[in-house]
Amino acid sequence: MALDFSIILRFQDALLLGLWMTLKLTLICVILGCTLGFLVGLARTSRSVMLRTISGVYVDFFRGTPVLIQLFWIFFCLPLILGIELSNLASGVIALTLYMGAITSETFRASLKSVGPEQLDACIALGLPRRIQVTNVILPQAVLRAIPTLLSNCVSLFKESALVSAVGMADLMFVGQNISNNTAQPVEVLTIVALIYFIIAFPLTRAVSLIERRILAKLAI
Amino acid sequence: MNYSFDFQSISFAPLWEGLMVTLELTAAANIIGIVGGFLLALLIMSPIAVIRLPAMLFVEFFRCTPAIVQIVWFFYCVPMLFNVFLGSMTMGILALGFNLMAFNAEAYRASIQAVFREQIDAGIALGLNPFQRILYIVLPTAFRASIPVLLTNGIGIFQQSALVAIVAVQDLMYQGKTLATETYRPIETFTVVALIYFAVSFPVTQIVGYLERRRQLLMS
Repeated sequence: MALDFSIILRFQDALLLGLWMTLKLTLICVILGCTLGFLVGLARTSRSVMLRTISGVYVDFFRGTPVLIQLFWIFFCLPLILGIELSNLASGVIALTLYMGAITSETFRASLKSVGPEQLDACIALGLPRRIQVTNVILPQAVLRAIPTLLSNCVSLFKESALVSAVGMADLMFVGQNISNNTAQPVEVLTIVALIYFIIAFPLTRAVSLIERRILAKLAI
Repeated sequence: MNYSFDFQSISFAPLWEGLMVTLELTAAANIIGIVGGFLLALLIMSPIAVIRLPAMLFVEFFRCTPAIVQIVWFFYCVPMLFNVFLGSMTMGILALGFNLMAFNAEAYRASIQAVFREQIDAGIALGLNPFQRILYIVLPTAFRASIPVLLTNGIGIFQQSALVAIVAVQDLMYQGKTLATETYRPIETFTVVALIYFAVSFPVTQIVGYLERRRQLLMS
């Protein structure tokens, strides 16, 4: 069969709009999700049993169910339960933020745990107050160690964001599917859409391994 | 809120059928992923560039694009490009299986690299040929070391398999969507469907956690 990729040029504006939506959604959810994840990570190591249980159930549930069903649940059920109208974007942001919060909380928890007990002992020996111990000793090391995994969490989020097309949000995947249905040239359009995702995600995954190998090795932590 | 819950209207028979389809997809994709992933890992580590580069491209492509794009691409483009028309179930299994192959190949690669050089030297000293060395030394050691990651990836595919509902394979997600529209009870239906997914994947993640803790104890 003959392939005609020039068709993409006719629809480049629509595809760019879709890409912009995907990037906007990813960026908002990265910021909100990392904040949520950090708080949940702290809650999971807290001394209060209730905080630990609630945050544990939240993380297990969001990691144990498909993102697609989380999206459907929030799109169709949250407005019914809350009794308010939610815009498409708001529902998408809520769903993906909750997903991102669950996966980054595990990252933060692991990196908080990786700060050795001798560091805490040193803090105590130096007579540092609890607040200083957390903000000046534990936090910087934990965040630095979390960076590579956080970055790959961001790549996962970027990929999962394509799911919002299933509930009718006009992201890159949705625009691509629309164009391919209307032009009946799925091979060209879907291949280009896949390539766009690849071009953005691939350098990020390279950056992850680069950071892991070079920077962390140099800092020797 | 003034919504009255009604879990009575949900019939479990279609959900059960859907779960069976989902499990079938997961099992078949895992067979492809576990066997194919190892072969792919060997190709990635090959010293010959002509073999290595296409294999690496395959892995990176599947790891760096959304699974939903892969599945939609597979369903629309494979029949057009290659003129093959397979059942939707077979297509779903292949799409998910290739995705899992790419992720498992990375897991195998890490554990193949961790196989001690002395063991392979011992294999050479015993006069095993390269094929025997892979079969009797590298494969068993690497496979055992990769089990936690393989399980995590496998349960990941169980969750990703919900995506085939979009291309009308009648899995658990698809049955849930149909039931929600038929009964006008989206909250109850989607909650039950989510709980079913959770009930299957949660025990597996617990097993992975147990295996990893045990391995750390053995290593220390």
